[in-house]
Amino acid sequence: MDTVLEPLNKKKKVSEIIMALGGVTLVGGVLLFISGNTFIVMIIGAIVLFIGLGYFNHVGTLFKSKVLKKHLEEKIENCVYNPKKGLNKHEIMNTEFLKRPDRIKSEDYLSGELDGVKFVSSDVVLKERRVTHTSKGTRTRYVTYFHGRVFRFDFNKDFKGSVQVLESYRPKSRRNFEKVSLESVDFNDTYKTYATDDHTAFYILTPHFMESLMALEKKHPGNLGFSFLDSHLHVAIHNRRSSFSIRPFTKLDKDLLTRFDEDLNIIYDIVDDLKLNKDIFKEEE
Amino acid sequence: MEPIWIVLIVVGALALIILLWYIATMNGLRQLEVKVNEAESGIDVALTKRFDVLSKMVDTVKGYTKHEQETFINVVKWRNNLPEELTIEQKEEFMQKMDAVQSGINVVVEQYPELKAEKVFSNLQHSISDVEEHLQASRRLYNANVSRLNSRIVTFPISIVASKIGMQKKEFFEAEVKKRADVDISF
Repeated sequence: MDTVLEPLNKKKKVSEIIMALGGVTLVGGVLLFISGNTFIVMIIGAIVLFIGLGYFNHVGTLFKSKVLKKHLEEKIENCVYNPKKGLNKHEIMNTEFLKRPDRIKSEDYLSGELDGVKFVSSDVVLKERRVTHTSKGTRTRYVTYFHGRVFRFDFNKDFKGSVQVLESYRPKSRRNFEKVSLESVDFNDTYKTYATDDHTAFYILTPHFMESLMALEKKHPGNLGFSFLDSHLHVAIHNRRSSFSIRPFTKLDKDLLTRFDEDLNIIYDIVDDLKLNKDIFKEEE
Repeated sequence: MEPIWIVLIVVGALALIILLWYIATMNGLRQLEVKVNEAESGIDVALTKRFDVLSKMVDTVKGYTKHEQETFINVVKWRNNLPEELTIEQKEEFMQKMDAVQSGINVVVEQYPELKAEKVFSNLQHSISDVEEHLQASRRLYNANVSRLNSRIVTFPISIVASKIGMQKKEFFEAEVKKRADVDISF
């Protein structure tokens, strides 16, 4: 692995030097411009910084395709990893609790099988357009309202209707959802449960399952949402993080892969804690 | 405006507010009662499904043991002597008697492992697991609704409305607690 990482680290260092040079030049240029001198230095600084960032991103892509892909394939059965691809808008809207975005960025697609449970996932950034009318004219800006990872798992229970367990989202669907109160006060304080049929909510959310959802919330800080629909479990975690991004001035080594493994833990936790791998409820074919 | 009119308007407005609150509270309680009844009928459906699957299981194991078939026939007789609409207590008893039959079947399966290999029986085992999950869900839903209704009924001033419309506390379905205990299956 070191033979692959070494040249990547060299390239990364070059990109960091370019970025640092660009940053220093840009700051100097701004100071010069403020004190009434030419703006050329500022422009040059910005261009150099831009080139450095582009090269850094290129190194990031090389790392993902040459090192991370192989690493993930070793850990996950039938693994498909594509850093440039992501879940499409339709798949994201299938959660039925994420708002329809005006802009969408989806990358780091990862699918496979863990303990016989199939899943697909990707990093997702969703933005909505906000238009402000002022005396000076109209101002349009795009505000991020979701930045995290979206998953879809096979779910082992057959059920009617749909159930959503949400930390702070609201259902975004035309289905006739009703708020359901479960027996656990702690659970009701942490999550709001919505269901098209309250029996289905109680059927899916067994006491053990509720405990597992609470444990997941403690283990993975962020805004969590779970949607049970058509024998699938959709999960969205809004933690303002990109799962497999490399950081400037941090060496590409095995420790970094260990950090990425921690990001993968949520997949293991969902499969294990929620017992998605237990197929005891389905009728035999 | 004369003071008497002001007093009358204030009293009238207060009376109207109290009347509207009374109607809203009464409707709320009635709606909750409907939910309790719906949940109770969910228990009925789940019990019936369990009874059906259990009868198929007994049918399958009858070649292995007569005892379970006799026990089950006794349950059927006991059930036939009861009215169509069972009380919560009778439902609990019904559930416990089915638990006893099920425990017997499990013992038979342990004694005759070849049963597990039979596809029909294996499918029935999957079915019974699912039916029991639904039964537990119905029981929990019913108890959650009963708990909400009961706590409202005893809360002042809702308790006044509840007693006026003759609404009383509902019984919990507690069979789950007793399930682990030995079940008396004598008839």
